[in-house]
Amino acid sequence: MIRFLARRLAGSAVVLLLVSLLTFGLIWLVPGDPTTVLLEASATPEQVGRLRVALGLDKPLPLQMLDWYGRVLSGDLGQSILLNRSVTEALLERLPVTLSIAAISLTLAVMLGVTAGILAALFHNRWPDQIVMSTALFGLSVPDFWLGLVFVVVFALGLGWFPTGGFTPIEQGVMEWARSIALPSLALALTQMGFVARMARASMLDVLNQDFVRTADAKGLSRTYVVLRHGLPNALVPLLTVTGIIAGALLGGTVVIEQVFSIPGVGRLIIGAILSRDFPVIQGGLLFLAVVYLLVNLVVDILYAAVDPRVRLA
Amino acid sequence: MSDTVSTPLGETWRRLLRNRSFVIGAVVVSLIVAVAVLAPLIAPHDPLRNNFRTRLQPPGEIFWFGTDHFGRDILSRILHGGRISLIIGASTVVVTGIFGTAIGAVAGFFRALDEPIMRLMDAIMAFPAILLAMAIAAVMGASVTNVVIALSIATTPHTARIVRGSVLVVREMEYVEAARALGASELRVLFRHVLVNVTGPLIVRLTYVFAIAILAEAALSFIGVGPPPPAPSFGNIIANGRDFMIVAPWITIFPGLAIIAVVLGLNLLGDGLRDVLDPRTRI
Amino acid sequence: MTELTRRRTLGLGAGLLASSAVAAPAIAQRRGGDAVIAITQAPPSLDAHVTSAQAARNINLHMYETLFARDENARPVPELAETVNISSDGLTYVFPLRRDVRFHNGAIMEAQDVVASIERYRQIGASANLLAAIDSVTASGSHEVTIRLKQVQSTFLDNLSSPRAPIAIYPAAEAAKPANQIAFIGTGPYRFVEYLPDRHVRLARFDGYVPNPKATGPDGFAGRKEVHLDSVLFRFMPELGARAAALEAGEVHLVETVDGPTAQRLRGNARFTIYRLLPFSMQVIKFNHALGATGDLNFRLAVMSALDMEEIMAIAFPDIYQLDGSWIYPGSPYHTAQGTERYNKPDLAAARALLGRSGYRGERLTFIVDNNRSNIDTATVVQQRVRELGVNIDISVSDWPTVSRLGFTPQGWNFWCHGFGIEPFEGPASVMAPWVGGTSMIRKDEKIDAWFAELNAAMEQSARVRIFTEFQRHMWENAVAIKAGNYGLFQAATARLRDFKPYRIPRMWGVTLDA
Repeated sequence: MIRFLARRLAGSAVVLLLVSLLTFGLIWLVPGDPTTVLLEASATPEQVGRLRVALGLDKPLPLQMLDWYGRVLSGDLGQSILLNRSVTEALLERLPVTLSIAAISLTLAVMLGVTAGILAALFHNRWPDQIVMSTALFGLSVPDFWLGLVFVVVFALGLGWFPTGGFTPIEQGVMEWARSIALPSLALALTQMGFVARMARASMLDVLNQDFVRTADAKGLSRTYVVLRHGLPNALVPLLTVTGIIAGALLGGTVVIEQVFSIPGVGRLIIGAILSRDFPVIQGGLLFLAVVYLLVNLVVDILYAAVDPRVRLA
Repeated sequence: MSDTVSTPLGETWRRLLRNRSFVIGAVVVSLIVAVAVLAPLIAPHDPLRNNFRTRLQPPGEIFWFGTDHFGRDILSRILHGGRISLIIGASTVVVTGIFGTAIGAVAGFFRALDEPIMRLMDAIMAFPAILLAMAIAAVMGASVTNVVIALSIATTPHTARIVRGSVLVVREMEYVEAARALGASELRVLFRHVLVNVTGPLIVRLTYVFAIAILAEAALSFIGVGPPPPAPSFGNIIANGRDFMIVAPWITIFPGLAIIAVVLGLNLLGDGLRDVLDPRTRI
Repeated sequence: MTELTRRRTLGLGAGLLASSAVAAPAIAQRRGGDAVIAITQAPPSLDAHVTSAQAARNINLHMYETLFARDENARPVPELAETVNISSDGLTYVFPLRRDVRFHNGAIMEAQDVVASIERYRQIGASANLLAAIDSVTASGSHEVTIRLKQVQSTFLDNLSSPRAPIAIYPAAEAAKPANQIAFIGTGPYRFVEYLPDRHVRLARFDGYVPNPKATGPDGFAGRKEVHLDSVLFRFMPELGARAAALEAGEVHLVETVDGPTAQRLRGNARFTIYRLLPFSMQVIKFNHALGATGDLNFRLAVMSALDMEEIMAIAFPDIYQLDGSWIYPGSPYHTAQGTERYNKPDLAAARALLGRSGYRGERLTFIVDNNRSNIDTATVVQQRVRELGVNIDISVSDWPTVSRLGFTPQGWNFWCHGFGIEPFEGPASVMAPWVGGTSMIRKDEKIDAWFAELNAAMEQSARVRIFTEFQRHMWENAVAIKAGNYGLFQAATARLRDFKPYRIPRMWGVTLDA
């Protein structure tokens, strides 16, 4: 187990290094810098040049890179050029926002998806199965941001049940917080749920067809008992994988959904940073997303290895 | 030296035709492709022609799906938009297919390269595709080509992983060992034996890539890094409608429904293909 | 009574309404209230010196003030200065300062603060060229500052009072800090409370504020700034639909800009008041004179004759535009129709003839544009229109940093469009400046350069009007760039917001918020 962990951590470090190098590559390629958002359209290149110097943006890239790696190794992601705070602060401010949405939609998607999937497996090829599978397929085919827009029109503008956008921190009232993230979480959950339901059904069917379940069946044990005692635990293993994949998809999904609902999360922070060329925020934000992504996958793999010893050898 | 482990072509085809998902999916996708090809003939209006006197018209007799803020016919734009979205989807499939296969095969076959290649793939997967596309658009300007590049970069790692997995399984099989022992060169072995056997999972994966690409194109256009105007891709139409969501929801609603139809068709097709070609995987 | 007023105002046109708001007698002015304003973008900086972005100005000019500021008609008037005494040779400006001005940190403003702020602006100011004529700035008393110029500049007070990137007066200690690293301390009627990126900036009434005793009422960026509200929250809401929705849901009290259709819809609702702020900006299509066909006069004239400005403006700025060929806003003493004879005379036959005389042979040209919807709309309409002439244009959309960098280089673009908002407000020199040295069209135009120098030296207004009119004629006859028209903003507020008068920034002094 320890060797497995060590290998995975080393691999993750390599991936993070690659991510940061890729980001530097992009920053080097992308034209423009933060002065362009500070100045009017008619600002002359001479004015731009002056401001670049004033903001200390005129350092050559290799030097910036050296600085950056030096600081990152001591845990400092640097200062945002435009946001008047450090990159770490900016990220930590948004983390609860994105985390709220990602966690709630992940929970919703997994709980509803697994329930629906098991139901479908138990009624294999009968009408509950068909309804679940059609709905799941439909969910997979709907663009999440579009669903979000439709939700805004119907539930926020039409019925007035939810705010049209924005985010209320949980300290300002649990109800208000829940209302502010309900629509975005639901839009994300519904589109991911189909994926979970299909996976849950498939792995459940696999298990139900295995010998020991058939034997239990044949021995006349109650169907519910068999499913809960033997089927579910075994079917959960592949579901771990799905959770990992969805967590990755949600990271990307929140980026767009935050745009739809004007939610000040990590995705919006990075998009804003790209649009305004706030390089330290781009750099730190992408690294942060990569860490989260790797962390989720690492946890999934550890759980997986704990459940299924063969993985460690692979 | 017949080297397929899969069933002969005729039998595969018969099984596909008996698969309901495949048949429905194939019909839906064929219809959509036909509509896209015939768009110039069947579209009631010029999708690019603006007329500010007919702007933001609700659905009615002349404009079945209403008009946008340029006074352009939404129905005609959706019909033409199908072309752009399908071209983007198909191109992404081709590019991903080529690179995913090549990278996956190299990683799977050459042990020394496996680790660095797969770590690089991991790094790319840790990058949300939307942000990657934004960066590319900022560098090169938004265009169909750049959308395809961004989507291909985003979908390649997973494809490569699938191919690598199949290669790893196949390369240990006895008959490949045997071929190697008989003196076939490494490269010949690679192409003749291994690739043939990853075809099934690859086709299935690429069908889903097609669906993913259509969804992702819409998201990219929505963020503002899709095909440049006046191209009526599905995502562009939705993005255009967003500012008028309250007064003219039809601009947003109809292209969304079109996306659902296309993606649903592709997913059904993919499910059918998976059942027949790659029965091991279930999602 | 309240109800009646509301009904009556509804009957009036929105344009009238804006002016009637001030004339209406204040019904028991309520003190207190927390106003929420939806603005389109986050301010790139709250250090007023380093940014000329509209989004920053909106907020910064509530916190900071300048020696001179522009009045309602854009003329410079004293703000933190009592007055100015200009020497007869026009080179020495002596500014006695007001003695009753406090910074938000409680300190009294003194000459050393002004000197330090102006010196800082000359070093790092976003529009440092505004002060290029300065030779020296000195404190000639505890409350007196003397500025010496290198040469006579007719526009010096205009420059000093520019709201573009305001030459804000900071405490000397803050003025000693590098760009973007100051504490936000000014002398304005509001003080800084908090800034949460992607959410809002919160300002609160500065209780130590003493309104300019010489002024009688609100007057442009200057005048009497009396604050009745407790606080103002500027919420950043880039999405048009979201802004309108938030207003309707009662989440915000004023929306900096809503779209035409929404404005029309809300107009019938007694809960809201719609304001028209027109002109706010002019939409300009720029040509790259250094690359290919757009370097060809006949080609540019062909494009100009093809364009139907009404089509462009009606699509890009629905219901809130004016067709006007002058390169300055109506109402300015420099505004004239002279020289604009070629404006908006769409004639495809004439355009074809001109195109035939040009060197254009069907090659693909590039129209660069940022993500702003109105700019994309403008590019799209132009593209479709000239397609009828057989001119092929590809539209290339990138984000603002890329486009605004590319658009000042000689390669990679033929057309570029965006608004010029503050320049025509500031006056003729600001309108001409972008074309000086060929900066915006990438090829030097000797005539423009000469006129600009002449304008700067001309102390007589009549002479300046003549120079500007010649410049304007030249812009049209040579199709240096094309002005499509003026556009404005619809601003929408809850009817509870009283005495609001739209201006270049949503001024939150003089207004009240009914409970």
